[in-house]
Amino acid sequence: MMEERKTKDFPRSDSASGSSDQVVRTIGLSKSFGEVRAVADLDLSIPRGCVYGLIGPNGSGKTSTIRILNGLIRANAGRAWLLGEEVPVHVNICRIGYMPQEMAIYAELTVLENLELFAGMYSLNKESLAQRADALLDMIDLTERSDSLVSTLSGGMKHRVSLACALVHDPELVFLDEPTVGVDPELRMGFWDHFSDLKRAGKTIVLTTHYMDEAVRCDRVGMMRLGRMIAEDTPRGLMESTGETHLEDVFLHKAREGSA
Amino acid sequence: MNLVRAYAIALKTLRSLKHDRRTAGFLVLMPLFMIAIFGYTFGGDIKDVDVVVVDLDAGSANGSVAALIREDLAGRDVLRIGTSEDRDEGMNAVKDGEAWAAIIFAPEFTVRVEEAIEASRTGSSAAPATVEVHIDASNPNIAQAVVAELQTAVQAVLVGYYGANPAITVSEDRIYGEDAEFIDFFAPGVMGLAAMMITFMLSIISFVRERSTGTLDRLLATPATEGEIVGGYALAFGLVALVQSAVILAAAMLLFQVSIAGNALLVLLTIFLLGIGSQGLGFLLSSIAKNEFQAVQFTPLILFPSILLAGVFWPLEAVPDLLRPVSDFIPLTYAVDACRSVMIRGWDAGEIWPQLVVLAGFAAGTLLLSAYSLKKRG
Ligand SMILES: Nc1ncnc2c1ncn2[C@@H]1O[C@H](COP(=O)(O)OP(=O)(O)O)[C@@H](O)[C@H]1O
Ligand SMILES: [Mg+2]
Repeated sequence: MMEERKTKDFPRSDSASGSSDQVVRTIGLSKSFGEVRAVADLDLSIPRGCVYGLIGPNGSGKTSTIRILNGLIRANAGRAWLLGEEVPVHVNICRIGYMPQEMAIYAELTVLENLELFAGMYSLNKESLAQRADALLDMIDLTERSDSLVSTLSGGMKHRVSLACALVHDPELVFLDEPTVGVDPELRMGFWDHFSDLKRAGKTIVLTTHYMDEAVRCDRVGMMRLGRMIAEDTPRGLMESTGETHLEDVFLHKAREGSA
Repeated sequence: MNLVRAYAIALKTLRSLKHDRRTAGFLVLMPLFMIAIFGYTFGGDIKDVDVVVVDLDAGSANGSVAALIREDLAGRDVLRIGTSEDRDEGMNAVKDGEAWAAIIFAPEFTVRVEEAIEASRTGSSAAPATVEVHIDASNPNIAQAVVAELQTAVQAVLVGYYGANPAITVSEDRIYGEDAEFIDFFAPGVMGLAAMMITFMLSIISFVRERSTGTLDRLLATPATEGEIVGGYALAFGLVALVQSAVILAAAMLLFQVSIAGNALLVLLTIFLLGIGSQGLGFLLSSIAKNEFQAVQFTPLILFPSILLAGVFWPLEAVPDLLRPVSDFIPLTYAVDACRSVMIRGWDAGEIWPQLVVLAGFAAGTLLLSAYSLKKRG
């Protein structure tokens, strides 16, 4: 009947995919929507165990990049690899998690039912789901609300549920698109604690944000502007090379350089 | 296709209905409401009803009265007349659903008519001649129209040639639908209509939401395939359609004493296929609709042709010629026809398979197209 999109086995061990500790790698990735160049000639290389921040203002192409990597849209040019397999990923898809920019959870289901659904998509069995659900509910501090309908939760709570859904199968690489947008400062701190925990557990996190102050907490940041990568380094490295003390100023500095 | 994942998606879809009590209630009450409100609705003018005339009348020296009646019938367009030389052949055409009625003139018909007229002239008594009409009354509107038409023709001939004279009676025999009333006719129609409309609307709104909230993207980024997602939804909404038809069947049997001549499971299978196809149609249109508002706008587009042209409330024979080809393109037409054949005529799978094939094709076609359209990424 329907062609199996993701279970088909064609691992490509291209030399271009780079060494295996580069969990994300792209070469010349480009995507246009009509006249708009959403992603332009993007080269990325993200090592294992890193918290990587794609930062840039709205419309700079962060979401498009993440959607290409997750196989939701196709690039017009360039190539990309996740965990050594060329995108769209089939074999390794169970090892990857994705939290979209929209809330992307079912408001008409309970918290637990949402977790169960996504666990089902990864074929988790009942016991591992139960364990996982307990741990995640604890992590997002919603154990008491596990049977509440998502529509009755506050915005911040929904955000936490969305994060938990992306982590339900304990992925080793996780994409979080604007995980902290519209999240109050206290909760944001909590999120960053989760990220540190994940990093300690050896996971790789690729997140996007347009809050420059947050980016300081990433191991590496890639600054995007109009679809292009205008600078990439550790936060400290970026500040030192430009002589600025805030990443915000680094971005403006690099942006001026770019258009000059 | 991993059935466990499809099942997980079906489960979540049904669960969200469980949490939304009002929608769940609506799904059950809406068909009840429909069957009640449309209970006694009648349709437009009927024409081109297929009948077979078996004219065995040998006539007399003065000619044939049967021929005069046939001529009169042919002069109007209510009946579309086929002929047969053989009584059994005529009856079988009705049994097989090729004609709605067989009208039979016996060999001595004209002789009897003349005897009856002569008798009334001399004041003695003689039994009137009879025209037999064997009817498939599974559609009461049509049965009524055929008998009325025949009676009109008989009267016209009698008045025209012999002066008003009760020399002929029409004897009516129902091949199907012995006690069929209008409710028997429209219960299957309402069932199909409700199943189709509601699964269509549930589906288009669900998928517009799946798209706008990002959950569809999220599902697609998991190992779930397009086929599993679409299949899971089809399973859930097919079940919803089944529950609805069970409710309608029960209501029709308990409240309106509708009886089911054939196998009720066959009716449910028909509705299940229709539900799956309508779900697929909803999915396909959801990719055009940008929001729930626009999704709702598609509803009348689907609803009106289904109500008017699929033979739900009045027979296809009452649909204007120009629009008849449209009826053939509406899957509901086949579902309603199949359900009616099973419920009133007591037909089995051996007889309604063509309708089932069309519906299975509709279901499979929309599902495959849905999965394909999901697969196509920008
Ligand atoms: N589906 C789409 N159709 C048309 N244009 C799009 C689409 N998705 C993104 N864009 C455009 O691509 C550019 C980059 O958008 P996006 O990747 O969402 O940026 P960011 O996530 O950094 O805010 C924007 O100009 C946006 O309008
Ligand atoms: Mg974005």
